[in-house]
Amino acid sequence: MTTVGRIINHAWRVFATGFVFVLFGVGALFISLTVFPVLRLSTRDPDVARRRIQNGMQYTFRTYIEIMRLLGIMTYEVHGVERLREQGRLIVANHPTLIDVVLLVSLIPEVDCIVKRGLWRNPFLRWPVIWASYIPNSEGEELIEGCSGTLKKGHSLLVFPEGTRTVPGRPMHMQRGAAHIALAADAELLPVTVTCDPPTLFKGNPWYRVPARRFHMKVVVGDPVSATTFREEGELPARAARRLTQWMLAYYAGTESGRPSRAAHPEKAAEAPVPMASAMS
Amino acid sequence: MSVNVKSREEILEYLRETLVELFELKPEQVVPEAKLYEDLDIDSIDAVDLILKLKDLTGRKIQPQTFKHVRTVGDVVDALEALMAENPAA
Repeated sequence: MTTVGRIINHAWRVFATGFVFVLFGVGALFISLTVFPVLRLSTRDPDVARRRIQNGMQYTFRTYIEIMRLLGIMTYEVHGVERLREQGRLIVANHPTLIDVVLLVSLIPEVDCIVKRGLWRNPFLRWPVIWASYIPNSEGEELIEGCSGTLKKGHSLLVFPEGTRTVPGRPMHMQRGAAHIALAADAELLPVTVTCDPPTLFKGNPWYRVPARRFHMKVVVGDPVSATTFREEGELPARAARRLTQWMLAYYAGTESGRPSRAAHPEKAAEAPVPMASAMS
Repeated sequence: MSVNVKSREEILEYLRETLVELFELKPEQVVPEAKLYEDLDIDSIDAVDLILKLKDLTGRKIQPQTFKHVRTVGDVVDALEALMAENPAA
């Protein structure tokens, strides 16, 4: 590309990114006032409505992603999408960008999410989150009960165990809530690795500072791991949650370079780093 | 464990054993200056388990607000000491 071409392309992506942000806001409001109320009224059964609204969320987010792709802001690829669609799993993902949740929900027809509890006070957005039976990000035990409850009903739940976006260049830090949820529900954990190249929309990076070229997002779905394998007989969840969290940290440290999940290949466990070895012993 | 007034050292020792058992900490990590969250990685969910366990020491239910301003291991010892002085025969 010539220098002029590069400048024009950069300016275009700044404009298009800003446009998409406005579209996200206006679109969310518009859909909350039109499509979602219609979906809610399309049945008397709240559980059927929940599924239809979650489908609606998927299509909305899919539309956002396709708009970003068509505008030339981003490209993406997904590996193992079929595993995301199996119900009753705790889907955990790392969190490099602002739009991870948009991309992941666009791939899953039915999934519960944890949403800022402030939305329950928003006059427009509170209804879709209630109808979709999304879970408010309350504190401690209450959040764990809400989340394990929905898993026990056989729904899938998407969680970012870091609790916030990854800070680039710093070691990953996780809350233990995700591990507690998986243990409380005896759920299978489905680890998902999201990467974004070049990095953009990460924590502390304003939207208008677009990357040097359009960014490429890659979603790699790992193999499910049963939370109970981390728990010893008669043990308090606090210890098992520590081991499971250590395992997740090791998983993300090991898959960052694109290597497959070690959990699925026990023969490779021998070369695993120390935290992994101690987590598995 | 019999319930009567205990010295600060005894309380600290009990707390140390409890933290090691509950959270797989190393005994030498549990010193009065250690910050519960930053140094020992004890989060709000762990705190609930810990408070339940400390009931065995004080012999009665502990209100979570007792530990509201607790930041370090030393603070926990202070709070437990105050609790047991309040109600030594419970």
